[in-house]
Amino acid sequence: MSKEEKKPFSQTMAEWRQFVYNPRSGEFLGRTAKSWGLILLFYLVFYGFLAALFTFTMWVMLQTLSGDIPKYRDRIRSPGLMISPKPVTALEFYFNKSDSQSYAEYVSTLKQFLKSYDDSKQSKNIACTAGKLFEQNEDRAIKQACQFNRTKLGSCSGVEDDTFGYAKGTPCVLVKMNRIIGLKPEGEPHIECLPKEEGKVQITYFPDGGMIDLMYFPYYGKKLHADYLQPLVAVQLAIISNRTKEEVTIECKIMGSPNLKNEDDRDKFLGRISFKIQMSE
Amino acid sequence: MSKEQYESNILSSSYLENTRLQTMDNQIPMSQGRKREKAAEILARDGPNALTPPKSTPEIIKFLKQMVGGFSILLWVGALLCWIAFGIQVAQGVASAFDNLYLGVVLALVVILTGIFAYYQEAKSTNIMASFSKMIPQQALVIRDGEKREVSAEQLVVGDMVEIKGGDRIPADIRLIFAQGCKVDNSSLTGESEPQSRSCDFTHENPLETKNIAFYSTTCLEGTATGMVINTGDQTIIGRIASLASGVGNEKTPIAIEIEHFVHIVAGVAVSIGVLFFIIAVSMKYKVLDSIIFLIGIIVANVPEGLLATVTVSLSLTAKRMAKKNCLVKNLEAVETLGSTSIICSDKTGTLTQNRMTVAHLWFDDQIYSADTSEEQTTQSFDQSSQSWAALSKVVTLCNRAEFKPGQENVPIMKRVVVGDASETALLKFAEVILGDVMGIRKRNRKLAEIPFNSTNKFQLSIHETEDPNDKRFLMVMKGAPERILERCSTIMINGEEQPLDRERAEAFQTAYMELGGLGERVLGFCHLYLPEDEFPDTYPFDTDSMNFPTSNLCFVGLLSMIDPPRSTVPDAVSKCRSAGIKVIMVTGDHPITAKAIAKSVGIISANSETVEDIAKRLNVPVEQVNKEDARAAVINGMELKDMTTEQLDEILINHSEIVFARTSPQQKLIIVEGCQRQDAVVAVTGDGVNDSPALKKADIGIAMGIAGSDAAKNAADMILLDDNFASIVTGVEEGRLIFDNLKKTIAYTLTKNIAELCPFLIYIIASVPLPIGTITILFIDLGTDIIPSVALAYEKAESDIMNRRPRHKKKDRLVNEQLAVYSYLQIGIIQSIGAFLAYFTVYAEQGWLPNTLLGLRVNWEDDYYNDIEDSYGQEWTRYQRTYLQWTGYTAFFVSITIQQVADLIIRKTRRNSIFQQGLLRNKVIWVGIVSQIAIALILSYGLGSVTALNFTPLRVQYWFVAMPYAILIWVYDEIRKLFIRQYPGSWWDKNMYY
Repeated sequence: MSKEEKKPFSQTMAEWRQFVYNPRSGEFLGRTAKSWGLILLFYLVFYGFLAALFTFTMWVMLQTLSGDIPKYRDRIRSPGLMISPKPVTALEFYFNKSDSQSYAEYVSTLKQFLKSYDDSKQSKNIACTAGKLFEQNEDRAIKQACQFNRTKLGSCSGVEDDTFGYAKGTPCVLVKMNRIIGLKPEGEPHIECLPKEEGKVQITYFPDGGMIDLMYFPYYGKKLHADYLQPLVAVQLAIISNRTKEEVTIECKIMGSPNLKNEDDRDKFLGRISFKIQMSE
Repeated sequence: MSKEQYESNILSSSYLENTRLQTMDNQIPMSQGRKREKAAEILARDGPNALTPPKSTPEIIKFLKQMVGGFSILLWVGALLCWIAFGIQVAQGVASAFDNLYLGVVLALVVILTGIFAYYQEAKSTNIMASFSKMIPQQALVIRDGEKREVSAEQLVVGDMVEIKGGDRIPADIRLIFAQGCKVDNSSLTGESEPQSRSCDFTHENPLETKNIAFYSTTCLEGTATGMVINTGDQTIIGRIASLASGVGNEKTPIAIEIEHFVHIVAGVAVSIGVLFFIIAVSMKYKVLDSIIFLIGIIVANVPEGLLATVTVSLSLTAKRMAKKNCLVKNLEAVETLGSTSIICSDKTGTLTQNRMTVAHLWFDDQIYSADTSEEQTTQSFDQSSQSWAALSKVVTLCNRAEFKPGQENVPIMKRVVVGDASETALLKFAEVILGDVMGIRKRNRKLAEIPFNSTNKFQLSIHETEDPNDKRFLMVMKGAPERILERCSTIMINGEEQPLDRERAEAFQTAYMELGGLGERVLGFCHLYLPEDEFPDTYPFDTDSMNFPTSNLCFVGLLSMIDPPRSTVPDAVSKCRSAGIKVIMVTGDHPITAKAIAKSVGIISANSETVEDIAKRLNVPVEQVNKEDARAAVINGMELKDMTTEQLDEILINHSEIVFARTSPQQKLIIVEGCQRQDAVVAVTGDGVNDSPALKKADIGIAMGIAGSDAAKNAADMILLDDNFASIVTGVEEGRLIFDNLKKTIAYTLTKNIAELCPFLIYIIASVPLPIGTITILFIDLGTDIIPSVALAYEKAESDIMNRRPRHKKKDRLVNEQLAVYSYLQIGIIQSIGAFLAYFTVYAEQGWLPNTLLGLRVNWEDDYYNDIEDSYGQEWTRYQRTYLQWTGYTAFFVSITIQQVADLIIRKTRRNSIFQQGLLRNKVIWVGIVSQIAIALILSYGLGSVTALNFTPLRVQYWFVAMPYAILIWVYDEIRKLFIRQYPGSWWDKNMYY
C-alpha cells in the first residue's frame, strides 16, 4: 500500500536538468537572472558592510595595543630552553664523525646562528657590567644591547674549529633561553646538563659553569631592543665511546635562579630541555 | 481497498468453514456441552481465546534504531575517523595522538547518550499506553460435562456452549442455538448504533449479516441466549480485523518527514563541505592524516548534536500540555501531525454529540416548543402554564419504565445512571428536570397494568390510579410512534380542553411531525384516556393479554422529539477549524437526515450551504439537472458510496467543502481516508470501534476515543481523546501548529552557531592560523550552553492567531526551508563568526601575536619540538605556552559564540513581529535559558578552566564583551528584517527573508 512510488531515473534527471536550467521561466538553479542579480547584490552589500565593520573593529582593537610591548605577558611568565642546532625531526642528533655530510646541516645551522654574534655586528653594542641587570631608562627610544662575544663560547665558537667538534666526536650544542620581555632573572642563573647514562659523556660548558650573565636582562622587545643578543651557553659533549655506535640522552636545566622554573609537569621545555645524540664512527 | 476486498480479508474461507462445520456438528448436545478433557485438548491446540497483542518491535531493535538514526551515522563516521587517526598517530609516535582517541570516545558517547535519551522518551510514551491495555479478565458461563460453570473467557474453545444475558460481553464468536429477546450492540464492530436483535434463525449467507451469530467483544444489551462457540481468539472477526489493522502500513508522520528532510540538508552540507575541504587540504599539500582530522572537525562543527534531543523534549513538553487538555499522545511525533491536519474525519456519536438522547422539541397546543439540550441543563424555559403540558407531563412521567439507579440523590440529574433504553432515559431525565421527583409521582399514581413497547404494535401503555383521592377514575397513558398513536385517537387536547380531532387538527399534527422528523429527531406521540369510573371500578381486573380496556378513541396530548444533541463546545470548535482552513467531514453510521441535522447544528454544514438535493428541491427540478458546483455541501449515503468509483469519490471530495457521509460502515471509513489522502491532505480520523482500527492506522493521525473507544482502536490510534470531545481536537491542532512554528525557531537558533563553529576550521585550513576553536569546545556549545535555550523556545507563545491560518502544505511549507537555512547560515551565522573571530584575534594580539603573524603559522605552531617561536614582539614561546594560549583562544571564541547566541535566542522568539510586540519578558523560560547559558559558560571558563582535558581557561573579564557589538548588530539587523517583512508583505525582501 506504499503511496510513494519510486520515480524513474530519467524523470529524476529531467527534474534536475529543469532545476539547473528551466528554459520556460528562464530560471537558473531555481532563480531567474534578475532574482540572482538581486540576491547577489544583496549579499555583496551585506558582506561588504560586514567586512567594513570587521576591519573597523579590528582596527579599533589594534589601536589599543602598544607597538613596543604586548599588553599581557601572563602566558609566558618563565622562559623555555631551546638548543641550536635543532634537528629536523624531534630533538635527536644522528651523525657519523667520519662522514662530514652527516653533520654538515648542524654545522651550517650553527654558523648561521652565530653570524649575528660576529664582532663586526656588535660594534654598536656596549660592554656592560657583568653580574648586574642592565635596566635602561624608560624614555630611551632605542635601548642599548650588551656585547656577547663569540669567543666566550671557547672551542664551540667555531672560530678555531669550524666543525664545532663534530669531526672529533665532541659535538657542540648551544643552549639558549627564550626571550621574554621584561624578564629579570634572580640569583645566578646557569645551565646544567646531565647525561642520563652516567660516565658516558663528559660535558664542558662555555662560558665557564654555563653561567648566564644578568647583564643581558631585561629584554625590551624587538622594536626597542633591535640589537639585542640573547646570551648563549655552549655545551661540548665529549662522548666516551668504546663502541662504534653510542647514544646518549642529555637533559639541560636552568639552575640557580628562583624565578626561572624548570620543573613544570606539563611544559617539558620550561627551563629545561632534553635531547639525544647518537654518534657513530 | 474496496469493501469487497476488506470483507474477503476478514472472512477468509477458514472462518466460514468453521461456521458451517459447527452447524452440522450435532455431536455436542446442548445440555451437556463439551467434555472437559476434550476442551482442554482443543485449548492446547488452538491456544487461549484472547487476541494476540500486536507484534511489537524488540526493545533492542528500537534502541539500535536510535543509535543509527538522524545524525548518528555522521557522528559514528567522525568517531571512526578519530580512531583511525589515533591508530596512525600512535604508530608514528605523535605525542598528541590520545586527543583523537578521547575525541572519538566522546563522539561515540554523544551518540549513545542521545540515543538512550530518545529511547527513554519513546519508552515513556509507550508506557502510557501499556496502562490502557490492561483488561479486567472476563468471565463466561459455560456448559461443560452437563454443568454450568463460570470460567475465564480465555479458557473457551470451539464447540463450547455458553450462556449470555443482558449486560454481558460476548466472550467469543458464537452461533446462537437459543435466544430470547436477545439484542446486541454491534457498534464497535459494524458501526451500527442501533441495538441488533439476535435469534436462532439463519438469515444470511454472510456471517456479518446473519442474525444467529454474535461476535466477540460486542455486548449483549438485553435478553438471554445460549450459543456455541464457533471461533476463538485471533480467529474471531475482531481478531481478524485487529490483525488486518496491524497489516496497514503506518505512514511516516509529517514531522518525521520534515526532520528527515532537515537531517538530509544538514548532513548534505556537512558531507559536501567536509569532502570539499578534504580535497582542498590535500591539494594544499596537507598530510592525508591532517586532512582527516580537519574532516572530523568539520563534521562535528556542522552537526547540531543536541538538536534532535531538543526536538524530542519540545515535542514531549507539548504532549504534556496536550494531555492536560485531554489529548493523550501516544506517538510523540503525532503532536505536530495534528497541527498540519487539513481534513478531520469525525465520528458523530459521542464525538460531536453528547451520546445520549435528549428531548429537543415538544409539540402541544398546536405549537412547537424547543427544549434546552445543553449538557448541564437544570431547568427548562419553555411555556409550562398550559393545562395541556400538565397532561403531557403526566403521560411522559407515567408511561415510562426507566428508573434512576438508587443512591444518586446528590448527582446532577443529567449525570445520573438510569436503567432503561435511550429514549426512556431521555424522557425520564426531562421529566425529572421539570417536575422533580418522578419516582415519587409514579408511586402516588400506582401502576396497575402495563404493556411494554414491542415492534409489532409500536406503542407502550400503562394504566394508573390517579393521585387525586377524589378522582376514582383510572388513567390510561400511552406513547409510541406518532402515526400509530394518532390512529387510536379521536380527540386532541388544546389548552387543556379536549377537542375533536378533525382534519385540520390532523394536518397540523402532520406538519409538526414532518418538521420534527426533518430535524433528524426521533418523534414520539403521547395520548391518554381517563377510564370512566362506572365501567372500570376499583376492583376491575386489567388483563394486558386480552386487552380488556379501550385502546382507541383516546385523547391525543402531544409530541416529543428527541435527538442526541451536539456537545455545546462543538459548534465553536468547528468554526475554529473552518477559520483554520481545516475541512471537517462527518462520517457516521446514522441516518442521513439525522446526520445532516447534526451537521447543520454544529456548523459542519453551514447555515447557507445547500446540498444538490436542497437545490433541486428549491428550484423544483430533478437532481440530475443541478449544477453540482453550486452545492457546497454534500450528504453521501453509504449505499451510494458503495457504488462509487475512486474518481467519483475524489470528485466529491474536491468539489464539496462540507461533506457528511451517512450510513457508512467502518470499512468505508478507510476508503474515505484514502480518498482524502489522495488529495495530499493530512487526515485526522476519529474512531472508537474495533472496525475503525484500519482507518485509524491508515490516517495520518488516528484519534481514538478514551471513554467509548475499544482497546483495538486505542492500540491503532496515535492519539487518545480522553473526554471524547471534538473540541479537544481543536485545542490539539492549535498546540500542534504552535510547536511547528516553535520548532522552526529552535532549529534556526541551533543552526546559526554551526557556521560560527565551522568557519574556524575553514579559516584554519586555508589561512593556517592556530586553531580558533576545538572540537571538544564545540561539543560543549552544542550539548551544553545551547540545550536549555533551544528547549525554551518551545514555550514561546504564538505570534499571531495561528488558528486563522491555513494548514501548512505538506510539500511546500517545510520545517526547514531555503530561507531559514540561508538566513541562519549565511547571515546571522556569518555575523556570529565575525564576532567570534574578533575575540580570537583580540586574545592573540594582546598576548603578543598580531593578526599578520598568525597567518601561515600553523605548521610551526603545532610543532611539538619547536619551542622558541617568536611572536610579534620578539618573545619566544614554548609549545605548551602556545597551546595554553590556543585554549584561551578557544575559550574566548566559545564565550563569544555564547554571548551572540543570547542575541540569537532573543531574535528567534519571533519570525515576523518585533520583539517588543511579542514582549521580552512574557516567556520566562527564555530567561532561564539565557541565565543557564551564561552560567554554564562561566562554570566552564572559571570552574573547569584548570581541567586540561576540557581545553578551557579562565578568561579575562573584558573578553566576554568583545563580541557584544556583534550581538547587538544581530538584534538590530533582525529587527530591521522583521520591520521590512511587516512593512512590505509579498515583496522581494519578504520572499527571501521570511523563514
